[in-house]
Amino acid sequence: MKRLYKYFIALLAFAGILESYSAFAQPAPKGDLSVAINYYVNNNTVPSLLVRVKTKVDGRFQPVAGITLKLFLDKDSAGTSIGSVTTNRKGEGRIYIPVTVKKQWATSVKHTFLATFKGDKKYEEAKADLTVSRAKILLNTTDKTITATVLEMKDTTWVPVKGVELKIAVKRLTGDLPVNETPAFTTDSTGNVSADFKRDSIPGGKSGSIVLIAKIEDNDQYGNISVEKTVSWGAKFIPVNTFNKRTLFATRDKAPIWLQLIAYSILIAVWGILIFLVFNLFKIKKIGSRLE
Amino acid sequence: MEKGNNSRRDFLLTGLITAGLISGCAPKADPFEAGASDIAVASGKKVKLLSVDGEEIEVDEAFLKPVPHMPPVSNTEARIGIPGKKFVMVIDLSRCKNLKKCQSACNHAHELNPGENWIKVDPMQDAEHTAPYWEPTTCMHCDEPPCVKVCPVDATFKRQDGIVLIDSDRCIGCRFCMAACPYSTRVFNWGAPEIAPAIAAQPYSCETSIPQKKGTVGKCDFCADMTRMGELPHCVSACPNGVFAFGDINEDSVSNGAETFRFSDLIKDKGGYRLMEDLGTKPSVYYLPPVSRNFPFESGLENDKVQNK
Amino acid sequence: MENSIIDEKIINDLLPQKFGKAGKIWIALLTVICLVGLFAYYRQLRYGLVVTAMRDYVSWGIYISNFVFFVAISLVGSLITAIFRLAGVKWGSPLTRIAEIIAVAAIIFASLIIIVDMGSPERFYYLFTHGRIQSPIIWDVIVITTYFFISLLLLYYPLLPDIKILLRFKEKSGNGLHKFYGYLGSFWKGTPAQFKLSEKAINILCITIIPVAFTIHTVTSWLFATTYRPGWDSTNFGAYFIAGAFLVGAGAVVVAMYVFRKAYHLEKYITENHFEKMGRVVVLLSLLYLYFNMNEFLTPFFKMKKSEEGYLTGLFSGDFAPVFWFAILIGMIIPIIILLFKSGRKPLPVFIVGIMVIIGAWFKRYLIVTPTLLHPFLPMHDAPASYLHYFPSWEEWAITIGSLAGALLIITLLARIFPVIPIQETLTEQHEKAV
Repeated sequence: MKRLYKYFIALLAFAGILESYSAFAQPAPKGDLSVAINYYVNNNTVPSLLVRVKTKVDGRFQPVAGITLKLFLDKDSAGTSIGSVTTNRKGEGRIYIPVTVKKQWATSVKHTFLATFKGDKKYEEAKADLTVSRAKILLNTTDKTITATVLEMKDTTWVPVKGVELKIAVKRLTGDLPVNETPAFTTDSTGNVSADFKRDSIPGGKSGSIVLIAKIEDNDQYGNISVEKTVSWGAKFIPVNTFNKRTLFATRDKAPIWLQLIAYSILIAVWGILIFLVFNLFKIKKIGSRLE
Repeated sequence: MEKGNNSRRDFLLTGLITAGLISGCAPKADPFEAGASDIAVASGKKVKLLSVDGEEIEVDEAFLKPVPHMPPVSNTEARIGIPGKKFVMVIDLSRCKNLKKCQSACNHAHELNPGENWIKVDPMQDAEHTAPYWEPTTCMHCDEPPCVKVCPVDATFKRQDGIVLIDSDRCIGCRFCMAACPYSTRVFNWGAPEIAPAIAAQPYSCETSIPQKKGTVGKCDFCADMTRMGELPHCVSACPNGVFAFGDINEDSVSNGAETFRFSDLIKDKGGYRLMEDLGTKPSVYYLPPVSRNFPFESGLENDKVQNK
Repeated sequence: MENSIIDEKIINDLLPQKFGKAGKIWIALLTVICLVGLFAYYRQLRYGLVVTAMRDYVSWGIYISNFVFFVAISLVGSLITAIFRLAGVKWGSPLTRIAEIIAVAAIIFASLIIIVDMGSPERFYYLFTHGRIQSPIIWDVIVITTYFFISLLLLYYPLLPDIKILLRFKEKSGNGLHKFYGYLGSFWKGTPAQFKLSEKAINILCITIIPVAFTIHTVTSWLFATTYRPGWDSTNFGAYFIAGAFLVGAGAVVVAMYVFRKAYHLEKYITENHFEKMGRVVVLLSLLYLYFNMNEFLTPFFKMKKSEEGYLTGLFSGDFAPVFWFAILIGMIIPIIILLFKSGRKPLPVFIVGIMVIIGAWFKRYLIVTPTLLHPFLPMHDAPASYLHYFPSWEEWAITIGSLAGALLIITLLARIFPVIPIQETLTEQHEKAV
């Protein structure tokens, strides 16, 4: 896993506090946070930053929720503030680049993002930074062959990049399915990779269309870049299932007809007799009261 | 591609994130990472953002929430499930060494009463001279679920996406489903579960199965809330060895987080099977046999002693 | 003239009698046991089913065994009353009231005990508001309700002529009871028209109750047989349960016969001949039940399927073997041996056999429920150690014994209020004999 984490580990402030003291009696030692910034661009549109915050609990990294971080572009100043983001229960926070840093963005094709956490009652202050160059992927498809080109912005022109690893896959609900057995491709000197689509007759919904995705993941230079393209290479697929059919495992209003017929006819017959017998009692009673 | 009024369900139906709302961008534009953050309904409110080329562009606000605000669906909606989906799990026995990370992640995520496990990892040895292996079991989410057949009050139900869930607000605690389940997957809250009062006070959600309630049945729910967001169940993402793979059989794909497989190929190449096929329950959980193992069986014994003393 | 003296003697013999000292102690004892059971149930309501020893594997315990036991005993009402009547068995008529009373008491406690077993009893009404006709539990709910109602009618109809007689003895029954009798049956004048209607109704009831009684026990067996579990997954189960129910019901009747005969000095009405005849019935039913047991256990034993191996060896030679062989011996084999001898069909031995049959039957119900649950298909694993075995907690015992005491209490009270032997029928028979 080539993750672009930059760990900033601060020192423990209150080390060696006697274990017998409860957390209420003494300030607990503050935890260390590890902050990582990830850069994402999808379909060459708006870039976003995903900040992940973790801390070590019993030797394992656990996500930390509710950490507010300030983010800056290139330098920590009022004019280059990207904004602040608070992590969710998965320890993640996402932010988009605001228009306010347009000027700074224009100064270079390479940028550094800074994240700072001030520290709170539970955690020490923490920082992270990430530097990325601007790049993009072009995705072309011809007759079940996919060509992806990786370009990097050099000064003012896009130039092909060699040696970038990227994945070409079919987008699926829980993960992206590689288009063939090759898990990842590396660009040649023209910045190109090409892949044959080997997922014949993969289900593609009612219209048979599937979404292809080419993506650079956790690249040291470019971050995470992806492009998508919808093609009609999938098999038309209309799901069938027994939901809401009359079955023994359906809900009460979908009980099988035969079962209802049998059950209710028995029920009506028996209770019909019983009601008749109760009426019979009233008849007997009537005869009795006539005698009085 | 102005499909701004797509309902959340339609999104999941197609599985294609096509609701990009940026004007003046590349065709078929979806500005953001696929997945959770896109499952939102366009609000119509536009926000100005900086594009990668340094241009100002307008984006619908609904797509900008750092994490989509997903209120739990109503229990009526949770009974229907997600149209067009049919969830399956593949458990690769050759990769399991009884680490039980799946179990602890599941217990944590569902706020289970201590001692209660929805995922069990059983040491299996089918015959004297066959090799032992570890077999994690979840709810099988059978297509013909015997537990649902016997439920007297519709408290447990089969959804159109294949998931079998429990409505704890309906369950009368007769435990017939527990007797009916051949996989012994169901557990009962014999007493009041030991959970934080704030969580216990929440209204019950069928999809998160939280909070568990005294006198009702609980079981693996395939993390229906996670699958609704297009994310993997907790056990799948917690397993460091990629034992579990989860996906939509209608897309013929399953993923363990790191790798994504074509389901039909995986089953074909590795000889996948289901448990107790002869009972006719038609489970949604497939197993890959413990061949060419990554770990010896013995490596899991240590962990078993701790958990089953 | 002589006739009316004999009549008065019969009526005097058969009128409900006030409790003596022993009766009062008996009532007090039963009440105390019931109260202990109620306290245990209060604890269960408060803390949940965690007070029981039931856990995820043994998710049904002695409550369900007890439920099956009660359902089984309740079958006796149909056996004695309906089958004897339809078959024209005259000697059985003094036993019909006893059978009906037992049936009503048992069915009341069968339905109570099933509520006790529920984890969320406050949602009991969901069975009616959200009931799924696909679930065998709903079938059971329907059929128990129906059977309860039929049993009440079958107790009530033949009681009407007796109530007319009871109303004549105001000073003996006391004001309260007299009012109650009046409320129940003052309209019965004993006219031929009334007799005709009543006779017809009883005949219809007798015909109706037989299939319903078969259904109640078959459906109860289906609560088990509709699952895949070893020991329950059996097509034999309905018949097996019915055979067992007939046996325990007959056992309950002979025990009650003996006790009422002693307590109310009814030797003239419940004669040695009755014990002789009931002894024959019990031996027949024991043989029948033994046959179904063979059917139920021999063929799986012969095959020894892997999924059933643990369960079967557990019963035959494992942890449950003592209880299993005890139940087979005391519930079937020994009763058969005793009752095959003529001297074994005297009142006392038949009474002892009846008790043996009932005890054997109760443990048999325990063996139907628990051993199966302790042998699931997948290994019992990743669960606390207390989940791997089952022995009922004191609350379970208290509630179970309390329910048994409650059933006895109802039987005792009904026997206090109503004549345990139908007076009018005895008179009619007496007149027929005299003619």
